[in-house]
Amino acid sequence: MDAHAAQTAVAVASGAKYQDLAWMVLAIPLMTGIGTWFLLRRHQALTAGFNIAGVLLSFVLGVILLNLTGGSDLPTTPFHWLPLEGLDLTLGLLVDRLSALMTLVVTAVAALVMIYSTGYMKGDRSYSRFFCTLSLFVSSMLGIVLADNFVMLFIFWELVGVSSYLLIGFWYERPAAGDAAKKAFLTNRLGDFGFLLGILVVWGAAGTVNFTELAAKFHANPALLGPMAGVAGLLIFLGAMGKSAQFPLHVWLPDAMEGPTPVSALIHAATMVAAGVYMLCRVFFLYTVPPGWPTPLAFLGDLSAATIIACIGGFTALLAALIAVQQNDIKRILAYSTLSQLGYMVMAVGLGAHAGTPASAMFHLVTHAFFKAMLFLGAGSVIHACHHEQDIWKMGGLRQRMPVTFWTFVIGTAALAGLPPFSGFYSKDEILVTALEASPLLFGLAVLVACLTTFYMTRLVLVAFLGAPRSDPAGHAHESPRSMTWPLIALAVPSLGLAWTPVGSFLAAHFGGSGHAMAEATVAAPAAVGVLPMLENLAGGVNEAMFGPFNHNALAATMGLFAVILGGSLAWAAYGHATRDPLPKLLGGFGRTLRHKFYLDELYEGVFIPLHDLAGTLADWLDRWLLNGLVIRGAHGSVELIGRALRLAQTGNLQTYAFLFAAGLAVVAWFILR
Amino acid sequence: MSLLNTLILTPFLTALLILAIPGNYRFVIRCLALLGSGFTAVLGTVLFFRYAPGTPGYQFDESAIWVSSSILRLNYHVAVDGIAAGMLLVTALVGFAAVAVSWEIERQSKLFYLLLLMIIGGALGAFASLDLFFFYFFNELALVPTFIMIGVWGRGEERTYAAYKITLYLTAGALVGLTGLIALYSASGASSLDLLDLQRQVAKTPIAPAMQSFIFLCLVFGFGTLVGLWPFHSWAPQGYACAPTATAMLHAGILKKAGLFVLLRVAYPLLPDAVAQWSWILGVLCVGNLLYCGFVALRQRDLNLLIGNSSLAHMGFAFLGLASVNVIGITGTVLVMVSHALLAALSFALSGWLRHQTGTTDLGKMGGLLRRMPFIGTVLVLCFLAGCGVPGFANFAGELSVLFGAWNGLPVIVVAAAWAGLILGGVYMLRALRQILQGESREPLKGVLDAVGLWRQLPFALLAAGLLFFGIFPNVLVNRVKPAASAVVRLATTLTPAAPVKAAPTRTAAPAK
Repeated sequence: MDAHAAQTAVAVASGAKYQDLAWMVLAIPLMTGIGTWFLLRRHQALTAGFNIAGVLLSFVLGVILLNLTGGSDLPTTPFHWLPLEGLDLTLGLLVDRLSALMTLVVTAVAALVMIYSTGYMKGDRSYSRFFCTLSLFVSSMLGIVLADNFVMLFIFWELVGVSSYLLIGFWYERPAAGDAAKKAFLTNRLGDFGFLLGILVVWGAAGTVNFTELAAKFHANPALLGPMAGVAGLLIFLGAMGKSAQFPLHVWLPDAMEGPTPVSALIHAATMVAAGVYMLCRVFFLYTVPPGWPTPLAFLGDLSAATIIACIGGFTALLAALIAVQQNDIKRILAYSTLSQLGYMVMAVGLGAHAGTPASAMFHLVTHAFFKAMLFLGAGSVIHACHHEQDIWKMGGLRQRMPVTFWTFVIGTAALAGLPPFSGFYSKDEILVTALEASPLLFGLAVLVACLTTFYMTRLVLVAFLGAPRSDPAGHAHESPRSMTWPLIALAVPSLGLAWTPVGSFLAAHFGGSGHAMAEATVAAPAAVGVLPMLENLAGGVNEAMFGPFNHNALAATMGLFAVILGGSLAWAAYGHATRDPLPKLLGGFGRTLRHKFYLDELYEGVFIPLHDLAGTLADWLDRWLLNGLVIRGAHGSVELIGRALRLAQTGNLQTYAFLFAAGLAVVAWFILR
Repeated sequence: MSLLNTLILTPFLTALLILAIPGNYRFVIRCLALLGSGFTAVLGTVLFFRYAPGTPGYQFDESAIWVSSSILRLNYHVAVDGIAAGMLLVTALVGFAAVAVSWEIERQSKLFYLLLLMIIGGALGAFASLDLFFFYFFNELALVPTFIMIGVWGRGEERTYAAYKITLYLTAGALVGLTGLIALYSASGASSLDLLDLQRQVAKTPIAPAMQSFIFLCLVFGFGTLVGLWPFHSWAPQGYACAPTATAMLHAGILKKAGLFVLLRVAYPLLPDAVAQWSWILGVLCVGNLLYCGFVALRQRDLNLLIGNSSLAHMGFAFLGLASVNVIGITGTVLVMVSHALLAALSFALSGWLRHQTGTTDLGKMGGLLRRMPFIGTVLVLCFLAGCGVPGFANFAGELSVLFGAWNGLPVIVVAAAWAGLILGGVYMLRALRQILQGESREPLKGVLDAVGLWRQLPFALLAAGLLFFGIFPNVLVNRVKPAASAVVRLATTLTPAAPVKAAPTRTAAPAK
């Protein structure tokens, strides 16, 4: 604590440091967002321009930061936000490889999505509001990414929730949008409830919320949390469960598709929903501690929080992939696919605890951010062209009419399915390797999910883009404007080639774990970043980069590839020339269950919400009848009754008074003379 | 005249001026009231920022002897510590906002503004007073007009009943509280009701533990009723629902806090043994506020009842901070007091506007209003987000501090509080937003108007800005509050040595003058 204070004092004394540049990364979008709202919102093009410029500037700063970090952290000047007695809650930035890389991902995707939005949102009456809110989101998201302590992370965690709320409910006059926004926020709140308690547990045991200090403490004493280790880990994970939409808190994400499609791409596919996984990677030190449970949970024994997390992630991946197979709304298919991929990442974090590194999860997060954003933007382009038609069975034949959208969508699909040499193959392979080493069961599950993923994505492409148009709007569709196709092409580049760059090794170096295939495979100098090393790497080891996975763990790579081929062929067989979905007939009741998303929404609406309402009714009833009725009206009534009784005596009649006077005298006399 | 005295006197002087103006000069009266309360708001802000942070003790100390007899000395003694500085600031701001939103009052506006200014002045006086007699006097001066205002300018059919109920409850509470104060005075053996005298006296000869318990419980239940401590809370929602907008703003925002203030100023520092023995009772009852009132809020279909119940739920955080008896928790309580003052005032101001425009506070009859009223709608979103504890607003900072403060002592209650704040608060606030602002606009609501122009928007913008300012820079407040909170905790945890003082308290003679 003293060292920290001294460091701060030095920082203050020497004035701002060049590292404080990092503050600008999140301050610029915030300022452009608020500034343009107050000053320029009537000038739509200017508002959009400034907000895009702000995010681009953040991106450039992010590149600078990434180069500055090298291997070590950059200390920045903290802001003493809530300097309580013995608990100095600061807002400070932790700039290391992890956060710098994530900053680049967030700002790059955000900038492209915002450029795309200039076309997609054209003509919307709240055009300016859209861009300002997006900027607010980017700023909050960067706050999560760069936070150096739990409380700051929680603050921005809530703020991305708010921006997500505002953006899902962007078209607030649609009842469905309002409901979806509310549902998203409240489901996230359930997760945040656990998250906050988890932070308190960790603080109670360790006395600090700062990540660096916590990591040092856990390094020195892994059993710091003692019997609360498992509980703390799971409570913190609850936050990730909400944000990254893990079962059973996943129900908000599909509904969140009510927001404008660029929002779905940026927030509900690439960045915010990945924040849960990012947070788990950030506080990974909590999950490598020896398992411990308090007495009531002692039956869990040696089961660690990480294992439970891996199982929840795997289950979510499977559940969502199954549901995606029977959805017909193009955005919902992609939403369930996002859920499924997030489940993959969460599983990888959980399994990574065995290997001591979550690098594979983080790697998949990065590649997924690009190709999933592209897929959503592609879907947006299709929806835009088909006059807001979202049912894939009312599309068809879009390949010729929208070539750029089609080809980029195919690249995205290949990357998501995990076809070499697209980036998704490499990151998914990392996860498969991790799984194979830790748990054969989850490895099998992961392969199954990979197969399902290819199946539903191939189905989507075949039905929506190939064949003959099945509706009027689809027949008259034409390619979207350049402002929309250009970001698609820009996103296609990393979707294709990101895995050939040293991202994987860069992450592996950050987490310093072993057993990372990419780390040993692709790069000699892991810390090197920049254009030249990247080119050298490309030139020197294209062969290794392309086929590395097969050299390293042939079983995992082959199984992954086999799953893709199997899923693709099955989809081709079923949907190659289909005009109607053949699956419902084949699957029967199970298909219906899938279409109804395992009836989970109905379950929640039938149980959880009524329970709260019941408690509300009960309390309200008590208030109304017991407190108001009995106590107040009772007091009121009895006072009034006494008043009425006394009034009987006050008749104003002289004879009555004389009689009472005499009677009184008689009573007194009787008492005296008795 | 000193800054603090000017601050307290301005509303009263304005009221006197208004008294001299004929009742039919409504515009002049309103202008005067605005001017007076505006000046008060400026003074309050100046005082807050001129208060030197980080230093313990009282600043802006002013005193004058009023009554000096051998039995009792009454001093007009005003001074400001960090807690009072925060409360004075929000009182002045909310006072101005309350005057500013009262443009809709047409009937007997002279009397209305007179009473309103009396409330503001009374509240300012109460928060500044170090003499308990004057505290009580100012507090009642602020409370009594609210009863009249609900009866005269109130809304709804139940307003007589509501006025009756609020009077009954708060008078009973005040009497119990007064009993506690008198008992404190006689048991302490001090020669005056000056808080500093009492502190000195108690430090010398502590009050017997049994007596401490009696006094403490009198203060907790008496002044707790004023705050809406469960189960003595049911006056609040209905009272606010029927009160005119300005009264509800001041009552829910400011006057309620006087109850907490007296617990912080009197009960905690002077009765350490009782705090050790009885603070758990606040911890238990605050769950009633947090969960019970939260659940009741969940069921409300009327906007005012919803805000009223949610404001009771927020008071649960303040009580929880008190129950934690440590500096983090007590600082949190003060943060909650300050932020909730702004929040409650803003909520009632907005609901007043909505009622005036739509003619209803029934949530089911609203809908799609954001399109019609972008300004009010935006502020309503900010306000309700603040109400469900979103960071960036002052309430979050307060609630977070309370949770951290109470965690090590009362973890189970913290779980309940987190559930109440994060989940219940979220549910009823967002439901209300969904019903009021989102969805399709209804036919009968086509003609509603937004707040347009600086004068109409100013009160809302001012309160929202306050919430944001203390949400982003809570350090400004914390640095002022921390020394005072440390002092409270230090005194509250300095227990009487094991052997209880048996000797009957002896009254020391008044110092020769």
